[in-house]
Amino acid sequence: MSLSYPKRIFLTALVMLLGLLMIMAALWLPPIDREVEVMDSLFIIDITDSMNVEDVRFGNKNINRLDWAKEYTRQAILSMPCGSHVGLGIFSEARSLILMTPVEVCANYHDLMQMLSQFHPTMAWARSSEVSKALYTAIRQAKEISPQPTVVFLTDGHEAPPVHETLFPKFTDTPGEVPGVIVGIGGSDLVPIPKTNEFGEIEGYWGINEVMHRDVYASSRGDSAELNENRPRTEHLSSQKKSHMETVSKRVGFEFISSPTSAQNLIREMQKISVTRQQPVKYDLFVWLASIALILLVLVFLPYSLFTKQHD
Amino acid sequence: MMLFGLEWAYPLMILLLPLALLPWFNNNLDKTVAWTALVPHDPLSRTISLSLKVLSSVVIASLLLAVASPAIPERTVQRFGEGAEIVLLLDRSRSMDDAFAVTTQAANYAVAGDNSKRRVARTYLTEFVKKRPDDRFGFVFFSTNSINLLPLTYSKEAILNTIEANSLGKGLSDTNLADALMNSAIMFEDQPYRGARIVLLVSDGGQLMTDEAMELITQRYKEMNLSIYWIYLKARQGMTLEPSENDNILYTDLPERKVHEFFKTIGVPYRAFEAGSLEEFAQAMDEIDEQQYQTLIVEELVPHEPKADWFLWLALLAMLPLASSHLYSYWGVRKAHE
Repeated sequence: MSLSYPKRIFLTALVMLLGLLMIMAALWLPPIDREVEVMDSLFIIDITDSMNVEDVRFGNKNINRLDWAKEYTRQAILSMPCGSHVGLGIFSEARSLILMTPVEVCANYHDLMQMLSQFHPTMAWARSSEVSKALYTAIRQAKEISPQPTVVFLTDGHEAPPVHETLFPKFTDTPGEVPGVIVGIGGSDLVPIPKTNEFGEIEGYWGINEVMHRDVYASSRGDSAELNENRPRTEHLSSQKKSHMETVSKRVGFEFISSPTSAQNLIREMQKISVTRQQPVKYDLFVWLASIALILLVLVFLPYSLFTKQHD
Repeated sequence: MMLFGLEWAYPLMILLLPLALLPWFNNNLDKTVAWTALVPHDPLSRTISLSLKVLSSVVIASLLLAVASPAIPERTVQRFGEGAEIVLLLDRSRSMDDAFAVTTQAANYAVAGDNSKRRVARTYLTEFVKKRPDDRFGFVFFSTNSINLLPLTYSKEAILNTIEANSLGKGLSDTNLADALMNSAIMFEDQPYRGARIVLLVSDGGQLMTDEAMELITQRYKEMNLSIYWIYLKARQGMTLEPSENDNILYTDLPERKVHEFFKTIGVPYRAFEAGSLEEFAQAMDEIDEQQYQTLIVEELVPHEPKADWFLWLALLAMLPLASSHLYSYWGVRKAHE
């Protein structure tokens, strides 16, 4: 040890005093405010029959689209910081129905999960699936909620009855006024759609003659050549309608992500477009102060003699 | 991570505990003495130097444990409160979109905005929920198939936002009262009896139910000891749930009267409030509020409680004599060298 004895005594006393002050600060220094970015969002989940199709890969098995949508929503909620707000809604027929306006995610996690677990095709009040109209109603209702949430719309994009390109329902609001993301669900192959009975049990599949294959309104338009054109009749089958959802999302100014692999994909998209709020959180510095005190004390007692040669 | 019944934010710090032994393995503060035999044998100094080492170890150990940030994990405690367990059954049918308590014929057909029955119900229910701190609320989704959307919860935020959402958008074309009543009872199934159980129905009409459904409902409601409160939002001012002498002939067979009759025959506590105006609605809510203060077992979620302070206090208590002794020796050494 190269330091003289009085110097060592002096340094030790100084370090001890500093350590004491640090411990006192750790105990009594009030927590400081730190800001985290949080956002409000509204998850609307498609509960129409086509969501019963089991063509989504989850781990090493195929699960149905609705279960995947619920699990994905759960993971997204889990990856949000406390202070974020999430609301839940479902879509069936031609409208979205908001079931809970945004609540804080940490305090209400249990209730959010309870409600999410109740989402079943039996909740549907009609058997059609008009995706774009439902999306419009979701946007309109999101505007009534304050602070205005970012809409997350989870669907396979299957329009039933089908919509003709020229007869698309009009979007009368400003695109992008309400930010949002459409999450596309489902595989790319056309597969039969299970049919559910009133108890929600699957009973066979939708047959080719049970669904409409053309936009009803197109038949009243003049172009009979196009109408009678021999096109494949595939509306009783379902796949993820990516190009349709891309078109729709452009129309309303939403982002579109198809079959995201992790909740982070969605969170990142949302952060890009959402109005985020600064949420002050109390942050206690005690860990840092106690660590400094700890390091100081360890410094005093480190066996220096093992590293340096004794000079005296 | 859980350890010793506590939750540790940085459990790896515990592995550093052997650092607390450092004071016993070094002689940084020893003075070089030419001949040790010259040093007088002093039991007091021996005790002091020993206790200083103990104190140093205590400080290092407790600081390590404090940095590991222990906390008592989130837990539920039971306490006795006053209140009830209430399942809300809000009519979501189209007619609830109409204006509430209108007197003119024209307003009857106008599209109602803020004064629609559904919004009025929202306003008063919100106020009601806020007034009742101990109650547990559940919410039944009232549609073709009703669903127990929000099982009984203590979270006021969750129930208030569910009520709020119920006021958005338009009503549903088809609702099923019998199914909703059955589901409300299911909400209490497998639940220990904690206190008064209430099904609070807010609707502007009734529905005819099958005999089978009525039998099932009667059986369930009796079994589970439920009370029914019905806030009936009157469409026509003159109409009453109870038949009166100068009754309009049109009223006698209305479904709401049938439902009222049925509720009376179940044999469970039942009260109907006929609200024809905002004042009457508010009064009904107040009356329910006053009546329902029985003893209720309340489960409360105690959030996770940081307990690093315990160890910081321990560190402080050990550090005080340690630091003072070192300051004292510094003072002594300086005097000796003057």
